Amino acid sequence: MSSPKINAKASYRLGLGQKLLLLLLPVVVALAALCFGRIMIAPREVFLAVWGKLTGRQTVTGTVALTVWNIRLPRILLALLAGAALSTAGCAFQSLFANPLATPDTLGVAGGASFGAALGILLGFGLIGIQMTAFAIGIAAVALTWLGGSGRGRGLTSVVLSGIMIGSLFSALVSLVKFVADAESQLPAITYWLMGSLQSAGYQNLTYGAPPIAVGVVVLLLLRWRMNLLPLSDDEARSSGANIKALRAVTVICATAMTAACVAMCGQVGWVGLLIPHMCRMKFGSNHVSMLPASVSLGAAFLVVVDTVARSVTAAEIPISILTAIIGAPFFIVLMRRSGGWRL
Amino acid sequence: MKLTIENGAFAYKNGPTLFENVNLELQSGELLSVLGPNGAGKTTLLKCMMGLLKWKRGKSSIDGTDIASMSERRLWTTVAYVPQARSASPAYTAFETVLLGRTGRLGVFSTPKKADVEKAEQVLDLLGISRLSQKLCSQMSGGELQMVLIARALAAEPALLVLDEPESNLDFKNQLIVLNTISRLASDGIACIFNTHYPEHALQRSDKALLLSGGEAVCGSTASVVTEANIERAFGVRAAIGSFETDGNELKNVIPLHLSSGEPDRATAEPEKNALAAVTVISHDYAAAQRINRLFHAYSDMIVGRMGMPYRERGVYIIHTSLDGPRGRIEELSQRLAIIPGVSAKTIYAKEEHELG
Repeated sequence: MSSPKINAKASYRLGLGQKLLLLLLPVVVALAALCFGRIMIAPREVFLAVWGKLTGRQTVTGTVALTVWNIRLPRILLALLAGAALSTAGCAFQSLFANPLATPDTLGVAGGASFGAALGILLGFGLIGIQMTAFAIGIAAVALTWLGGSGRGRGLTSVVLSGIMIGSLFSALVSLVKFVADAESQLPAITYWLMGSLQSAGYQNLTYGAPPIAVGVVVLLLLRWRMNLLPLSDDEARSSGANIKALRAVTVICATAMTAACVAMCGQVGWVGLLIPHMCRMKFGSNHVSMLPASVSLGAAFLVVVDTVARSVTAAEIPISILTAIIGAPFFIVLMRRSGGWRL
Repeated sequence: MKLTIENGAFAYKNGPTLFENVNLELQSGELLSVLGPNGAGKTTLLKCMMGLLKWKRGKSSIDGTDIASMSERRLWTTVAYVPQARSASPAYTAFETVLLGRTGRLGVFSTPKKADVEKAEQVLDLLGISRLSQKLCSQMSGGELQMVLIARALAAEPALLVLDEPESNLDFKNQLIVLNTISRLASDGIACIFNTHYPEHALQRSDKALLLSGGEAVCGSTASVVTEANIERAFGVRAAIGSFETDGNELKNVIPLHLSSGEPDRATAEPEKNALAAVTVISHDYAAAQRINRLFHAYSDMIVGRMGMPYRERGVYIIHTSLDGPRGRIEELSQRLAIIPGVSAKTIYAKEEHELG
């Protein structure tokens, strides 16, 4: 019997072409996004504006320079970071819990961060204050979840259950904050914030929000081979010679910090953390060596596209979560039907 | 490699002692089967042996080093574990799964190198499952998955392979494939431990057996452990051990007759009898012939006459041996000869038996 020798090496690693594509995609999309918007700016002018800002000799009009450098660029950077973070975190949680329905919010981080932000708005904090509170309470929520659900002899399922409980606890607290908030000014602010928007992007909050995301993405990318052990049972993972407890802890910490930073900067952006990892699994298989870099790249590109649509198509900006669902869900279903189903 | 377990005992937290007095020694190339009724703690025992669970008392050591004091990395490049094939497997391809077996030999942040990829391909080839390379484990049949899990364990190049019920839930053919694989690995020099629900698999495959019976562990050569009396004591089933003769071998089988009524009579051990026997062995490869010679050496006190000759024209090695000794030991030797892959062996006994001493 002849055994067809398929090129096994190619199957578990990305090819050079795929690597280049995944590397260039977010860059190209981001450059394109700099041109689109309520005012269209030609690529050449975008280039000149950025060049002028970097060299100090501005050759384009003030409006163009301002739009490109102060409004669009930070917003696109935020979209890149948030997309990469949410999709990486979703991917990590799906593997960790061996559960296709896991999202970045499974352990209650988004619920906690939302409460933190709502509380910040209620107490009249400034933008940075609100974001710090959101980040801190998001992390605290996951700590609570972990304390409540983990323990000797209990599986990870009880952690997930605990996460659902903590999540609903914090969403109740958010409702409480809304209930006592001032209906004229604070309530709309909280509501808009919860719908998610990248509008508040600026260099100042990027300097706070970017580091946790960058560190998380880089650490998980470095661990990409070991992450393949996450869906295995305890004994299987341990007998592969890996310290599975440490691996799980690092995964949870990275994914939580990334998600909390995202929610702090742009509210709850749904769907990305569920859709993108599944799309990547369908396309690249479950192996994190190829699937995780793909998730980072496609997550970043996807959110830039969606955000560009959100701020371009109508005069009033469309909340981004609405668009991620409207664009993402049909695309996901088409892909699922064509690729023969999700897999984990 | 030598695995030693001394006075092993285990109890779950706040639970009663599950088993105690586990003592055994296992050398490279030996195959140990672990038997016992449901709930006796066979899987738990395996996990204790290799350090996935902590002994309550006693210890396991490899070449004299207590495994509790070994680094995880060193331990898991010596020992490999094949868990029960679960239906819910992650959607990795067989190749990726086997490659995961190399993780213990990689740095924390590194991905598999060329040598690892080659090792994985080599193992798939060795087990004859290269055709499954790109198949997803989540879409495999039980038999295929079991072979892939064995391959994953082998990719770590272990000296000791521990398998948890490798042949349960498999059909005839796949049971045979898996058992043949284990036999071959053992004769290639890996020490193997597997637990099983089938006493005849122990009789047909393993050098040594360990029987968990009411919290006690009976361990020794398979022929001395898997006996009708021990089966009745451990399982509460009256069974008959018979044998089925093929051209080349005598295969033992175990037939359960009925549930045993009341307490089995344990004290009335029959006096051991001396016997005169002739063993004839045909070996089909030279490596096996060496193993046979070592085995005869271990029982040399019983051997009264021996003739071995290579028959080069047919590529076989033929050995005739005459033995005089306790019947139990002769049976032990014949059983250990018969389990070697590629070997035909039969024993005939002289009609008269007389009491020892």
